[in-house]
Amino acid sequence: MKKVWKFLSSMPFAIGLLVALSAVCALSSLITQGQTYEWYAGAYGPRLGALILALGLDDAFHSWWFWVLTGVLCGNLLLCNLVRLRPLINRTRGFYSADGLPETQDAAPVVHRPKEVFAALSMTPRETERQGQRILFASKNGLGLWGPWVCHLGILLLVVGFSLGQALHREYVVYGVKGQTKPIGDTGYALTIDDFQVKLRADDTVEQYEAAVTVFPQGEAGRGQSARLSVNHPASLFGMKLYQNSTGWAAALTVSKEGQVLEEQILCAGEGLQVQAVPGLVVYLNAFYPDFYLRPGYGPMTLSGALNNPAYLYSIYFQDAMVGMDYWQMEEGPIKVNDYEFTFHDPESYTLLEIKKDKFAWLTLMGGILVLLGLGLCFYVQPVQLWAREQADGTWMVYGKSPKGGPLFTERLLQATEKAKES
Amino acid sequence: MLQAENTLFTLVMLLYFSAMILYFAFVALKKDPIVKVAMGLQGLGLVLHTAALVLRGLAAGRLPLTNQYEFATAFAWGLCLVSLIFMLRFTFPLLGAFSAPVTFLIIGYAAMQSKEIHNLMPALQSNWLGFHVSTAIIAYGAFGVSFVLGIIFLLRDKMKAQGFLDEHIPSREKLDIIAYRSVSLGLLFLSFTIITGAIWAERAWGSYWSWDPKETWSLVTWLVYAVYLHLRLRKGWQGKAAAIFAVAGFVCVMFTYIGVNTFLPGVHSYK
Repeated sequence: MKKVWKFLSSMPFAIGLLVALSAVCALSSLITQGQTYEWYAGAYGPRLGALILALGLDDAFHSWWFWVLTGVLCGNLLLCNLVRLRPLINRTRGFYSADGLPETQDAAPVVHRPKEVFAALSMTPRETERQGQRILFASKNGLGLWGPWVCHLGILLLVVGFSLGQALHREYVVYGVKGQTKPIGDTGYALTIDDFQVKLRADDTVEQYEAAVTVFPQGEAGRGQSARLSVNHPASLFGMKLYQNSTGWAAALTVSKEGQVLEEQILCAGEGLQVQAVPGLVVYLNAFYPDFYLRPGYGPMTLSGALNNPAYLYSIYFQDAMVGMDYWQMEEGPIKVNDYEFTFHDPESYTLLEIKKDKFAWLTLMGGILVLLGLGLCFYVQPVQLWAREQADGTWMVYGKSPKGGPLFTERLLQATEKAKES
Repeated sequence: MLQAENTLFTLVMLLYFSAMILYFAFVALKKDPIVKVAMGLQGLGLVLHTAALVLRGLAAGRLPLTNQYEFATAFAWGLCLVSLIFMLRFTFPLLGAFSAPVTFLIIGYAAMQSKEIHNLMPALQSNWLGFHVSTAIIAYGAFGVSFVLGIIFLLRDKMKAQGFLDEHIPSREKLDIIAYRSVSLGLLFLSFTIITGAIWAERAWGSYWSWDPKETWSLVTWLVYAVYLHLRLRKGWQGKAAAIFAVAGFVCVMFTYIGVNTFLPGVHSYK
């Protein structure tokens, strides 16, 4: 059992996991996600299509095996950090003690003024004695020893925060035009769109999408909280975060019979109206073109975002069977189905707002900050220990240790001792 | 102002090209003064390149880091900057003979892109853009240097017979640690890139991570370099194996940068 724990917290296992994760991520990004068997069969052939679905590669990042892999990674990080904590504490304690003086060192430089070597490495030594010999010792940047541990902790928090957020977050979408009030899913709150504007530049490109909203507990409109939001500027109301996510066109659809209005409803593009007077009859607003142009051979398009030549693409279904589909413009007069008349009018932009509750986003952020801190400690806080031992002839032997410095530290130490010799 | 930027850009290309030729000449003729001129030209190119980027930023009224041309030219700038720093810091001028061609290839790629300045879509109008992309430039530059160091490491043994190259190329141990330093710099900045990108994505799209191909490949790149760092700690895996991973890491960097944009379009645009 001990061997199993040791293996699970070992570096080879961690390397294997990292390689497996990177391979899985790379492979999954190359396969279009979220498609049907027909799509995969068409793209990769029936066998490969079936294999993709069987292995869950169609939704790889939410598949059970990806969760398992992520869980094993978390376990490895946790075990690794637990196993290394005590040795790390001991190592840190020992780091500031002169006791670690190496017994032998092949190329220990000899100098007359050891303090100059310490000064060259921006270190101030303290004097101690060992077996009757004077020892100068200094250490710095011991915090750097903690870099990998902090980084691992950061990754662990980041992965746990992200996974919990993915599993437990709540996400809602509310869309509509100015003046509409809609419930926010099952939160018990409702949202009124007080305003929505698409700000255009002189060249017709979008500068910003801006919405003003009021959120209130359902049935308690007086307790509402209002906010303005735009892309890159979300708002927080009642513990929910609101994002300006998207936009589109909407228009009012009036149903009338013999000149009498039977009903009227605002439809966003893609929505349909179930005509109450005729069960089974549904009129859809499929698309809207504010500056309509039917380019021969290419189909419909809009020349600009301005309402210069509005046109509606609609379809009519009766008992789930399409009975009509066409472009329609106001000057053509109402669309007629038997005695019923349909008219689209008052087009305007609708806003699509995304509303989220993620209680673990802070954990992910904290993990990210710790990763950065850990990497900074790993790479840029280099622990250094330096000893100088007095010899019988009055010269000093200098010993240096820098676990991350390698030949560069040895080079630097030699330069410092050469300088001390010269002086 | 754009005309001036264009002229500077052409000049920078010429300077980088000249520096590259001189580095090659240094290797071929084995005369030390040549490499000093090469480094001087590269340094001058970097100064003018900085001026070109500043001019473009002034002309656009924003940080010039938002399209393929702007990122490619900034990438070349980052690679040039990091390679010069490493050449000076580690007294390793021959590095230029390997990094200059990569810099020239990237600025050549930039030259092939559209230089038009477009208005920014709402999602790109964020202060996080500056942090996100500028850290990516340094990360990519550092990874570019680690890539050429990996190549030098792998070629070093074959160059053994030549005294000149042996004299101008550091020992295997030193090469390994210089490559480690460049990967360290790159990984730290890539982490900044990913984290600032996640914060920005959360504000713009409401989701800090959505497994978009660009995000996924940034993670793949991060993981590959994490493997590199762990391998270096294993006995028997230092040196050659680590150098191979440094090269593989840069292949991931290039795929993240060019391959993803070309083959795997995702949600890195506002819909």
